[in-house]
Amino acid sequence: MADSYSGAPAEANATADGFFDDQTLKYLGVGLSSLFALGVVLLVLYILSVQVDYGLIPTILPQFIRAYGLVLGIVVTGSVLSVTSGIFVGLARVSKTRITSGISAAYVQFFRGTPLLFQIFVVYFGVPTLWPGTFPISNWGLPTAIISLTLNHAAYVGEAVRGGIGAVPDGQMEAARSLGMGYVQAMREVVIPQAWRNALAAVGNDQIILVKDTSLLTVIAIPELIQQFRDVNSATFDPWTPLVLVAIAYLSITIPMGRLVEYLEARSDWGGESQ
Amino acid sequence: MDRRTYVKTGAGVIAGGLFAGCTGGGSGGEATETSSGDSGSSTTESAETEAATTESSVPSKVVIGSDIPYRPFEYETTSGELTGFDVDIAAAVFEDQLGIDYEFKPTSFDSIIPSLKNNNFRIIMSAMTITEDRDEQVDFSDPYFTAYQTIVVREDSDISSTEDMRGVRVGVQKGTTGAAAAQSLKEDLDGELEINEYDQIPDAFSALLNNQVVAVINDNTVSAEFVNGEGEGQVRFVEGEGAAAEEGENAPPYLTLTVENYGIAFRQDDDEFRERVNEALATIKDNGTYDEIYSEYFSG
Repeated sequence: MADSYSGAPAEANATADGFFDDQTLKYLGVGLSSLFALGVVLLVLYILSVQVDYGLIPTILPQFIRAYGLVLGIVVTGSVLSVTSGIFVGLARVSKTRITSGISAAYVQFFRGTPLLFQIFVVYFGVPTLWPGTFPISNWGLPTAIISLTLNHAAYVGEAVRGGIGAVPDGQMEAARSLGMGYVQAMREVVIPQAWRNALAAVGNDQIILVKDTSLLTVIAIPELIQQFRDVNSATFDPWTPLVLVAIAYLSITIPMGRLVEYLEARSDWGGESQ
Repeated sequence: MDRRTYVKTGAGVIAGGLFAGCTGGGSGGEATETSSGDSGSSTTESAETEAATTESSVPSKVVIGSDIPYRPFEYETTSGELTGFDVDIAAAVFEDQLGIDYEFKPTSFDSIIPSLKNNNFRIIMSAMTITEDRDEQVDFSDPYFTAYQTIVVREDSDISSTEDMRGVRVGVQKGTTGAAAAQSLKEDLDGELEINEYDQIPDAFSALLNNQVVAVINDNTVSAEFVNGEGEGQVRFVEGEGAAAEEGENAPPYLTLTVENYGIAFRQDDDEFRERVNEALATIKDNGTYDEIYSEYFSG
């Protein structure tokens, strides 16, 4: 960091004891982070070379691929539904109508205030018993997954959108209204495009959490990735082979998602300068 | 209102809430204390004490890993008191025979053997069937219970044999011999069986009542508790002759997929303690304590 402050020589920044000056601190940082990285690399190499049983992989790979496809499907459906409904939750939160904003606030309080695991149990174990007689939907696991993930993440997306709208200077709305636009038109054409840019990082962050939240679905017997780990581990007592596969599977969804969010952010950056 | 402060406070509240959610959800590791009946001394030491005494062949207190609830072997009454067949056997073996304290530590069944090997507890008493695969990882005591894998269906179901199971969805508990029996049944049916694996057996029974699965494959005595208890009038056993009859045992009236023996699991370097427990098990079988406990839970 010291280099970025051009002009003043490093010596000038030295503290009284002469040890924690900018230069030493910089080398200390480099040293520590390199040591950390070296440790991690050695550990990963050790796991990959000694702990992972490559003979086991062909046998268990098909079930991991099936689980991967299933998780991807749940994530895509859950993402589309939760972002769409989350935008409406966010709009309702900033509504000037008492009923709308009150109800949406209560919605957010509940779904943000209770664990997702609890919500999954409510939908999977609670809802079917409300039905008089035998519950007609015999494969309620997947609908439960979509419903609970959507309800939960719509609350978070709603808050992100509300924050995004709140961060747009009041003058934008006032200017639009003074040009003769109605509330809806001003929102749609002036406020929301700017708010969306503000909210993007938080929404993207939340959607990445949604991917990881699918791991909770193992408790309602959805054959997702964690379940594959538990199956293989309890049958072979070999934790590392399935753990490595699970890590690869999740990262291969979340890292591209992170990049996508970065791209969208760059594209909607202030000023719209060409990249 | 200053917007920045508001956003920061909001973020803090969210972070705090999330943190509380995380720590709250992971409380499964807390040990269930079991008071020791007539001796008057209560088992107040923490689980960590056990790790220190691992070296001695017979500890002053044994921590037992168990997947709770698994009625009637280990479960909590509505007032929160831990009870069950395994719990009473543990009291008879450890407290009465060996004169040591015991404590049950809840753990999930599918990871119970790795947990044992990681020193999270000294032994496993969790209605655990002795199987070859498990025997390679742990050492078992002499068998202390015989069980059968059975099929439970809803009262109105038309399933009356294993062949009728073709193409249906069954519920099991992860990592159990019920799950293994379902897997081998799936192979017998040329793969035409869908298996839903739940964390705990009550979840599988809920799924059966809620029409999420057509049948539950599980140990007979545990299923019987459900069939004659909460599920009475709504579910029944599939009847017929099965593995038990083939092996010439005095077979129960319902269809049995396998015959299994339960054992107490020890780490492989724990032979001396295992011998002492085997002796104590033999003693309570001889002196009638075992039969007393047995008839308390399995009167039928």
